[in-house]
Amino acid sequence: MPEKEFEPKIIGFFCNWCTYAGADLAGVSRLQYPPNIRVIRVMCSGTVSPHHVLRAFQKGADGVLIGGCHIGDCHYLRGNFMTIKRMRFLQDLLKFTGYEEGRLHLEWISAAEGPKLAETVRNFTDKIIKMGPSPLKRAALAA
Amino acid sequence: MDKLRDKVRKLLAEDQVAGYIGYIVKEGHPLPHFFTKDRLEEVDRAIVAPGDARYPLDKLLQQVAAADPDAVFAIQVRGCDERGLNELYKWGQLDPEKVVLVGIACPQDQADYCECPGPWATVIDYGEKCQPVSRSQRVDRIDTLAEDDAFKEWTAHFQRCVKCYGCRDICPMCFCKECSLEHAELMSTGTVPPDTIFQLVRAIHMAGRCIDCGLCEENCPADIPLRVLYKKGNMLVKELFGYDTGSPEAGPSPWKFLGEESTLATKPM
Repeated sequence: MPEKEFEPKIIGFFCNWCTYAGADLAGVSRLQYPPNIRVIRVMCSGTVSPHHVLRAFQKGADGVLIGGCHIGDCHYLRGNFMTIKRMRFLQDLLKFTGYEEGRLHLEWISAAEGPKLAETVRNFTDKIIKMGPSPLKRAALAA
Repeated sequence: MDKLRDKVRKLLAEDQVAGYIGYIVKEGHPLPHFFTKDRLEEVDRAIVAPGDARYPLDKLLQQVAAADPDAVFAIQVRGCDERGLNELYKWGQLDPEKVVLVGIACPQDQADYCECPGPWATVIDYGEKCQPVSRSQRVDRIDTLAEDDAFKEWTAHFQRCVKCYGCRDICPMCFCKECSLEHAELMSTGTVPPDTIFQLVRAIHMAGRCIDCGLCEENCPADIPLRVLYKKGNMLVKELFGYDTGSPEAGPSPWKFLGEESTLATKPM
């Protein structure tokens, strides 16, 4: 029997004002993107703590996508300044501890960028499929 | 040692400080001790603890200062302890006006062991300045590993964790009343070893806060090389935000404010 194709689990943290609205736009525009992403709506991407990202990986996420407003467009003016600080730091720390670079991705997507959202989710899903299951899952399987 | 004792004696006798937190030998062991004017003769036995018998004096000072917020206390500090005090001032845990430093310069072997970039206090009452170690070879080694190897190495370490919270409890910088490591929504409870992310969550908290005293690693019953992880965290904070942890000139921690502008760019997919 052929092995079942790897279906990654991807967690998306989308900010209410830009990226989530962008996802709405992608939806009403009938743009297709893979259903592997589970979106969690947050009021601001700046509210996403590194804990939440780590918790997602612990719980079996293969990738985490954070979506926020472009710098300067934040509904709370500068909330996303903290998002990028946290995520850039976490990306590098994860790399140091052996997570492949890119399992955590941050993208600024505005409410008008439905096509960009669909494309980002498509590309990210493809990338995670190529990478395979997260190292945490692989370690659990090997144990 | 005489210079240090004289200084402490003078501080206590002239009521410049309400107490001095240092070390004394008790039952053959160097242990932290609270010296006061009432027992001035004990100062004759005040010592500088050897490198393998260090305690989180900064943490003791926080407790003492919290009990008597108006009093001024003297404290024995190495380079790391002083960096810790600087951070604690920034985080509002101690008042710099209420602290008098009795400074130590660490010997070379201690600095080499710690890979310490600043092995002396700004005030030196004991010891000579030695050669600081600017690059950590332990961090560099992990940096050169392939991702898969690095992951295997770290998980092997993390799996030994017995979740004693010793790293947190001894840490002079861990002052929170509520701890994410005990937050049931963020961390699984009732399992040993704990979640693989346990040490990472702590590493995130230590970034820009860890003053690299190394007590966590020495305290760890499972010999997890925590220090390497926290050193890397600080290196990243320096690289990304230009923040020099523990330096009085560095301004507030990058995690404490949003900033007037954001110059960091997102990573390409």
